[in-house]
Order: sequence, then C-alpha cells, then structure tokens
Amino acid sequence: MPPAMAAEKNPSAARASPKADEYAALRELYGPHIESFDYFIDEGLDKMLLSIRPMDIAVPNSNTTLRISLDKGHLLPPRRDGRLDAPLYPQECRQARTTYHGEFKADVLIQYNEGPPVRQQNFNFGHLPIMLMSKLCHLRGADSEKLFFHGEEATEMGGYFICGGMERLIRILIIQKRNYPMGLIRGSFLNRGAGYTDKAVVIRCVQDDQSSVTTKLYYLQNGSARLGFWLGGREILLPVGIVLKALIDTSDREIFTSLTCCYSDHYERGKGVVSTQLIGERAQIILDEVRDLSLLTRRECLLHIGQYFRSVMEGFEKDDFETVAEAVLKDYIFVHLQNNHDKFNLLIFMLQKLYALVDQTASPDNADALQYQEALLPGHLITIFLKDRLQDWLRKSKRLIVEEATKNKSFDPSNAHEIRRLLSKSTTSIGRAIESMIKIGKINSQSGLDLPQRDGMTIQAERLNFHRYISHFRSVHRGSSFAKMRTTSVRKLLPESWGFLCPVHTPDGEPCGLLNHMTSTCRISSFYNSEEAIKDFQNIKKLLIARLVGAGMAQFLPRIERTGPPEVLHVHLDGCIVGSINSSKIEEVVNHLRSLKLLAHSGIPEDLEVGYVPLSLGGAYPGLYLFTNPARFLRPVRSLFGLSDGRPSIELIGPFEQAFMEIRCPDGGDGGRKEFFPATHEEIHPTAILSVVANLTPWSDHNQSPRNMYQCQMAKQTMGFCGQALKFRTDVKAFHLQTPQTPIVRTATYNKYCMDEFPSGTNAIVAVLSYTGYDMEDAMILNKSAVDRGMFRGHIYQTECVDLSEKSRENVMEFFCKSSLSRDTSAVIDSDGLPRIGEKIFPSEQYYSVCNNLTGSVRPIKLKGSEPAAIDYVALNGTNFKNRLQKANIRLRRVRNPLIGDKFSSRHGQKGVCSQLWPDIDMPFSANTGMRPDLIINPHAFPSRMTIAMLLESIAAKAGSLQGKFIDATPFANSVKENNENSGTSNSIVDELGPMLASYGFNYHGTEVLYSGLFGTELTCEIFIGPVYYQRLRHMVSDKFQVRTTGRIDQITRQPIGGRKFGGGIRFGEMERDALLAHGASYLLHDRLHSCSDYHIADVCSLCGSLLTATVIKSESQKKAKRDMLGLPTVRPPKNFACQACKTSRGMETVAMPYVFRYLAAELAAMNIKMELRLSNRAELPPSEES
Amino acid sequence: MDSQQPEPVSYLCGDCGAENTLKPGDVIQCRECGYRILYKKRTRRIVQYEAR
Repeated sequence: MPPAMAAEKNPSAARASPKADEYAALRELYGPHIESFDYFIDEGLDKMLLSIRPMDIAVPNSNTTLRISLDKGHLLPPRRDGRLDAPLYPQECRQARTTYHGEFKADVLIQYNEGPPVRQQNFNFGHLPIMLMSKLCHLRGADSEKLFFHGEEATEMGGYFICGGMERLIRILIIQKRNYPMGLIRGSFLNRGAGYTDKAVVIRCVQDDQSSVTTKLYYLQNGSARLGFWLGGREILLPVGIVLKALIDTSDREIFTSLTCCYSDHYERGKGVVSTQLIGERAQIILDEVRDLSLLTRRECLLHIGQYFRSVMEGFEKDDFETVAEAVLKDYIFVHLQNNHDKFNLLIFMLQKLYALVDQTASPDNADALQYQEALLPGHLITIFLKDRLQDWLRKSKRLIVEEATKNKSFDPSNAHEIRRLLSKSTTSIGRAIESMIKIGKINSQSGLDLPQRDGMTIQAERLNFHRYISHFRSVHRGSSFAKMRTTSVRKLLPESWGFLCPVHTPDGEPCGLLNHMTSTCRISSFYNSEEAIKDFQNIKKLLIARLVGAGMAQFLPRIERTGPPEVLHVHLDGCIVGSINSSKIEEVVNHLRSLKLLAHSGIPEDLEVGYVPLSLGGAYPGLYLFTNPARFLRPVRSLFGLSDGRPSIELIGPFEQAFMEIRCPDGGDGGRKEFFPATHEEIHPTAILSVVANLTPWSDHNQSPRNMYQCQMAKQTMGFCGQALKFRTDVKAFHLQTPQTPIVRTATYNKYCMDEFPSGTNAIVAVLSYTGYDMEDAMILNKSAVDRGMFRGHIYQTECVDLSEKSRENVMEFFCKSSLSRDTSAVIDSDGLPRIGEKIFPSEQYYSVCNNLTGSVRPIKLKGSEPAAIDYVALNGTNFKNRLQKANIRLRRVRNPLIGDKFSSRHGQKGVCSQLWPDIDMPFSANTGMRPDLIINPHAFPSRMTIAMLLESIAAKAGSLQGKFIDATPFANSVKENNENSGTSNSIVDELGPMLASYGFNYHGTEVLYSGLFGTELTCEIFIGPVYYQRLRHMVSDKFQVRTTGRIDQITRQPIGGRKFGGGIRFGEMERDALLAHGASYLLHDRLHSCSDYHIADVCSLCGSLLTATVIKSESQKKAKRDMLGLPTVRPPKNFACQACKTSRGMETVAMPYVFRYLAAELAAMNIKMELRLSNRAELPPSEES
Repeated sequence: MDSQQPEPVSYLCGDCGAENTLKPGDVIQCRECGYRILYKKRTRRIVQYEAR
C-alpha cells in the first residue's frame, strides 16, 4: 500500500494511528491491571452479584418471610456532581483532591412468601473508584492529543485509581496456584492436634466470582487423613471417610478399590510408581473410622455433618440436617467443582497424592516456587472485597428489618417502600468501603477472604521518574507476612521464575526477593482472548475434552475403577479430573495440544497451560494438568515444531509447564542438554529474562551482577524529566531535571518503551583520572562551567493543598482573604489572600492569609523551611460547599542546582557524591580537541567493581557522537548473532568501536592525552575520557543537611529534640562518646554533652544531700535581681534558697549538672527512693549525722 | 474601608479557558461554563530572579 495515498484519503486517521501504535508496547505493560478491572466491569460484577446467597428473613410478629437477593449491577462512568451527563475527567479529581469514581447501582429482588420476586431497581450503593484507562474511563482509547487536552501525559497508561487526589494502585500479589493440589511438608501442620503429621495436600479452589476456599488434607500418624477448611474464624477438620461417603452414594468396596487401584504389585519401585502396598491398609483405616462412628450410608453421613454444622452455617437455622450438609459440601469443599462425582474423584486423587508424599514416592511441591503460584489481580481483589461488603450489607439489613419489626407493631413487611427505606439505610457505605480500601490499602472483613494479607494491598503510584512509575505497575509482591519471616528460603531466586520474574530487578535490603518485577515480556492471562472478547470457559473446556478424547483419552464416566501411574496418567482440567491417558501415548497428546494452541481458530486458547509432569523416580507427582484460568503468568517462547506453513510460531507458556519443558537459548550452546532430550522450544531473545528497568542498562551482560541490581535501584531514584503535563500536575513533591538528554548508548528497550518521552540524565564527558584528590572514595569533581551552562540543573515542585473547610478551627469558617488594614502593595499576597504567581518568597515570609469568618481577624501563613521558593501556580477550587474561596492548590518551585554533596550515578551502579565544583580553567584539557571534562571520577572505582560496560559505554558514546548515531547496547547481542558469520574475526565490542574511533583520529582504546589545567603540563599517562550517561539522584544535601547551635528543647529532659524538621540535633551517642574519651578530648565531650545540651545549675542541700528540697526564700533583693547575664551562668547569688527538709539555708550549694539528673531524682522520689548527693566541699557538718 | 475596595483578581477557567474576574466573596465558578477550578494568572508585576 502506498503510504502517501492513504495519507491523502484520510489525513487525520493516518496521523492518529501511528501515534496510537507508538505507545502500544508501553500500554501492554499495564495490561494485567486494566484487563482485570475491565472484566470486573464487563462480567465479574454481575457474576459476583449472582453468587451472593439470597438472604432469608423471617419477619417477627407476622408470618411473612422475605428473600432478598441481588441481581444485575450497573457501574456508571464517572460524572461530575450537580449537572448530569457532564463527564468527570481524572485531571479534575487530581486538582480538586476528590475521587475518580462512578455510581454503582444494583437491582434488588424481594420475594414474599415464595411468591414471585419483586424487582426493586437501581439501588444506590454509593460510588466505586474507576481505574484509569479501563472501559469506564473517559480516556479509554484516547489518542495523545486528546489525552493532552485533558491534562494528562501523552503516554498516559492508566492502571491506577485516583482517591482523594492521590494516585494509588493495587499491588499484584503472588498467591498459591488455583485448583492444583499441592503436596506440602510444613512443621505448622503438627499443631493441628495430636496425631497430626507435618504432611498435607493443599488445594486452593477458586469459584467463578474469583473468591477462593483453601481445602487441606492432613495425614494422620495412624494412616488416615482429615479434611480441613476454615469456617467462621476456625479450622474445621473432618475425617476424610465421612466426606467421601457424603459426597456420593457409594459402597465401602468402591472407596477401597478407587483408593487402591493405583497400586499393582508387578511394579516394584520403578519409574513413575507412586503407590505402595501400604495403601490397602490405609484405605481400611479410613473405612474403619467411619464404621466406628456407625455411619454407613450417605444419608447418615450427611446427617452427621449437618448436625455439626447447622449452628455454624449462617442462614440455615431452619433447614434440615441434610440440606445443611449439602450446603457445606457445596460452599466449602472443592468449590471450583459443581459435580459431587468430580469432587469425589478429586478427593481420591488427593488421598493418593498424600500417600505418595508420605511414602516418598512423590516429592513435596515447593510453595515458594513460581511453578505453583499465580497472581492476585486488582480486578479480582475488588470483586472479592465487594462481595464480602455486600454480604455484610445483607446481614445488616436483616438485623435492621428484624429490629424494626419487633419494635414497631404496625410494621408491614409487604410495604415495598418501607423495606426499601430500611434496605437503603447503609448502602452507600459499600462504595466508601471500597474507596477506603484503595486509599489506605487495608481490607476490613470478618472472614479473611482467603487472602494472604489484610493490609498493604495498595501503594501510591509515585511519578518521581518514569522508571519508578513503570516499576510500580510491573512489581509483584510475595506478601507482607513473609517480610517478617526469619528464614530466607522465600526470598531465594529459583529457576522456576526464569523468564517470568526479573532476577536483577529486586531491591536489596529488607524487601529483597519478596518484591520482584515481572520481565518485560511477561504477561498475565486474562478473561479476554486476543480478539478482546471474553473467553467462554465452558465452551473451551468442552472443546478441550473433545480434543483429548479424540487424541486417546479415556473419559471417566461418573466413576470408574481405574489404574494409576505409571500405566495411565490422570488428566486434570482446571482442577477437575476429566480422564486418563495411557502413559505411552501421552507425549503424543501433549504435542498435539501444543500444536492446537498455535492454531488461531482451533478454539483452544492460545494461553492454555499444558502442564505435563512426566513419570519419574520420586519426583513430582505425574499427570497432565491443563489450566485455562486467568491470573496465570505467561510468557512467549518460540516453538521449534512450527506450523505447517512455516510461519514463526510464538507459544505462550506458563511457569507450571515450563519446569518440564526443554527450552534452549539461541546462543549456540544447548545448555548442557542431553541428546535424548532435544529442545522443543527456543527463547525469543535472551533479554526476555530482564524487567523493563533492568533492560535499560547498556551491555549489562558485561557488568558484575550486583552492579546491575544497584543500577535498577538507582534508576528508580533518579531525578528525571518528570512529565510533559507538569503544568497540570499536583503531586505533593515532583522532581524535575531541566536539561535532560537522550543517551547516545541505549538498548533496544529504550526505543520500544519510548523512554525519550521521559529522559532522566545527561551525557557527561567523563574523565577517569585522579585529579586534585577531591575524587577519592567515590567522590567526583563537577566542572563548574558545565553546571553553569545547565548540566544537572533541577527543580523541586511542591504542591500544597490548603483546604480551610477541613480544619476549621472551633467550627468557625475560614476563607482566604487579604487583610484590609495592610496597605502594603509590595507583599506577595494578592487581594484574594493567595500569593501572586511568579513571586519569590523567602523563609518565614507570609505568602497567603486566612480570614476568620466570625471575628474577622486575619491570620497570615508563613513559609516554612530555610530556603526561598517561587510561586509556580495557584488554582482555586470551588467544588466544596457554599463555593466560598476555601480550597486552593499552591505550587512552590525550589531550585536544586548541583551542589557539593549531591549524588550522581552512571547507569552501571557507580554512584558518587559531588565533592567540588571545579573551575573550568583549572580542569585538565585534551591535547587534540581542547575539551575539558564535565566530570572527573577516580580510576579506583573500576577494578573491584568490574563495571566493564561503563568503559564500553564511554568508548561507544564517543564513537557514536563522532558519527552522529545512537549506539545499540542491547545485552547478549552476541548470543543471538547468526553463527554463519565468519567466525574468524573476534566479535568483541571494542573491536567494533575501536576502528571507528581510530578513523576519526582518536585513540583506538578511547584514551586521550590530557594537559593539567593548573600547570599546563602534559599528564604523564593517557587518560580514558568519553561521554557517559549520568543520572542525578534525588538525594540532595539541601534536603538533608542538619545543623544546630541552639533551638528547641524537650520539655521534660531539657535536652535538644531530634528531627531535621524541627531544627533538632543529631544524637551524640555512646559510641561517639567513647571515641572522644579515647582521644582524651574531654573538653569537647563536656561541651557537647553538657554545655550544649541540658546544662543546669541545681541547688543542693549539703546537709541532707537532697537536690529536690530547695525552696526560694522571698526577699526584696531577690525580686530586684535581674538575670540579664549572657551565656551560661556559672555562679548565682547564694543564700536565696533554703532546704525545705533542714529548714535552713546554711548548707545550700550550687552544683552544675545535667538537667536529666534532676529529673531522675524527681522520678526516683516518686517511687519513694531518696537520692542523696555528697558534696566534697560541703559546709560544716555535724559529725553525728554522717554515716 | 469602602474606599479601599480590594482590586479584583482575574483567573482562567480550567475547562474552557475563559478569563474570569472575581471579587472577594464571589462564587468560585467560571461564568462561561460553570467549571469550578480556576487558575490564577501570572502577576503583572516585575519579578526578579537570580539566574545562577
């Protein structure tokens, strides 16, 4: 297609479409957040409402029963208050510090006495926060022009909520893989009671509405098992035999054969044998247990369960035992399955797995490995939490109606209006609960919702710089409960997470290994297929089973006696055992399924996980586990089988199947793979194992690995270009680099994710030499003239939101205004009481004033801090009540030019502190170009740190800038090179760049002859010099320095207070004291710890030794005495005090001491302990009193 | 007091961009479109910065 023609036909479309594509890669990174919320809007909400059990209310004083149920929810896009149909845009919410939310309504069905349900439409449940860029957001699908028009970044990706003006996102948490029975060995299982062992099989069952129930099958020492689940805040343990019998009508013989069929005596302990002879005895024990309780039939078992549960189960007070038991089986045991036969089969399978675990014929599964984990997505969390809140509302409503009916005799339950009034009493609290969950990240619910943690669910999306911003959305957290654990096993980097979680990008320190980041290619399976239609899981499952049967699977009729591994393998589809396949045929079936995955229209989803666990000796329990569910991690790899038409075939694989797949790296070597395990798949590119931020480090394959981790940390604290929409931003604190540059040396990722929209550093000319000594120990010298020309110049933007309606004093209204008395027109404060934009204000200068409505007094507000600021913008906000001038955003701009003590780093984990701004004329200069470096670092930074990539970057950037081209620094480029290139030439990067430098007349190795700037003499060795991309980190001295001579003191101890904000001091602790003592610097010690601290002169009675009994003698001379002494008084006029105890002033002495000592004496006195001082030069003492 | 009537301050509407001039006590709302967030205009007075 000729592009010119298309452009002529539809110029606007042609202009818009490439723009939308430009950021497509960037948008894809946010997919997990947005897709999960989209599903909540599209279908999840309705499914969740239907899954809420109707509430039956028997109205007292009348014979009516009400049945209240929920149906059909409506979530509306955000609208402005007041006028209808005016869309609310996120920018307005940020400015006005409100929430970006839409109305949430649902229909309520009320049924009277089994009559037809009456539909009460549009119950208002308050407002639900709407995720930006989700289907209900007004910005969905907007091009960059429209985005910018609405005050957003051109690249705005959404994925977060705006709550009270704050941008918050729900963290992706790692939780146990759903619907897969895991064999675990945990010491804590022993605490379940006497007879319990540390072994169990645990399955996390997830229902359609994403809520989950974890069921555990514990092994007992006597060979039996107990089924455990949580109900009403405690764990219920049932003998497994009762559950087996209660599930279906079965005989002891059938249970026995089902359990023991997997054992056959002609396999000894061969490959893939999972069962031992003991299973027969164990089955006997299970059956005996039930017989001992004299429960023989299904009905008896159900009655037994029902009897036990009727008091605990809610809403079943009137039902018979059997109904209760059926409900228990439905709601708490294997909730992902509807059919009792399926549940029976799964329970038999879990028992077999449990016994295999006990007999060590199958290995335990590692709960910390990504293989058995999936993601908890924002949309799913909101669904679960909303369901919980709605159930709570139903319970509350029931209480209200019952109360009302008992109190009010004339209450008529058939009056729909009356019921509606009662029901809508606490409806809006639901919207508020969701909002506060997002605001503070805390989940308030009685049942734990089967979630791993209750707080820390949300974090703020900081826009400090783009790297940090992206990282928030790509991060996955292991759970806050693991942070407190002493063991380090959860934090380990396991091979299972290869390609899914980045091995480089995890913080060092406390959250190391718990807070991981998804790799750049990793995605999460969702409810949407590639055509953005909601997947029909029922249909997919039917189709899959049909395909499997076609390929040779023996389908289970409801129940069938079968054999187990190693003869046949069970096929699990989303936790349901659908059949078995002969182990000789299984590889064929797996390959068939994989080829179906690749076909576009086979009906088999492209993200199907074909987890084939092969037969092994004491390895993982074998079987074929298929997963279609959402929230699984996925990543693309190239399939080597390929399609028949030879197209490149990209297959999406999950962590479960990856553990058993043969994936090779395209580096030529086969990873030590044996010949009889040929590779079936290939990595697309080696950089796929790195996260977005880790991918941005140039040639990271040439660096020592911890340096790459440091760089990931530092990239996120860089002061960068914070955004094109800075004008509209109201962040509490935004860092902005005024003169950023695009790096000359960059990786392919840099372009792919449009990092040029938010550059974060400068190409500085870096000379590696030891000059002046000011570059010792990671210090660096900056060229003063380069800084004066604008290098690393930055600003801090601080937005202050002043809301006078919130903190009104003593309920008196306040509003902004200027004092009418002051005629001073030169002041910063404008006639509206707010500062003039552009004006510069100094510390403790007034910049806005507030008027009290009642008294009319005007209270000016002074600027805090110790540095001047400029008023950047002022916005008035009339969205509060009465529309008076009460709410305003004031943005201050503070200068942050590079100073001594500011922190800088290259992109290779080489951080340093500026030690001098060296004058340009004194900098060394190059012999052939005359250039002076912008920055000097010490050569000692390299040998021990081995950041070779930084040296490469310097050479490459030099060559690139000479040539006028960007240099591609994608790591592992060597390993993907076609091998047919003439292998005779060395493919080192220096050999590529060296000749290029040489052709421009520079040294092959990037060194240059330099002359000393001070003496004009040639430096004795050639100096390595070249441009390196440097970042300025946000840690700046101006925000950190702390000095104090005198200032505020603590009220009780009279010692200086701590904290930079209050002008406090820094603790001079014991170790510091020891150091001074060891140096013999006792005068200094006295000065620091006494004179500059709580110096105090106490009056002590030398007769009784007390320092608390001194009282003032009132005399005329005392009153007149003026204490106008400067500095610290040493002597006070004596004899003005008398001892209260001795009734005399004879023995009074003054003693200099720390004030805390006096405080100690007072505290001791309060405990009835007398502290006595013995003064060496005390007054004449009666000898008798001395003891 | 009355002779010292404070000078009105002009603002820009956050939605339509129209200029609004408000006196103290006026309702904070754009006269053109009714939007309730108004931006203050830059001062007309001479401001001096230090450029280093």
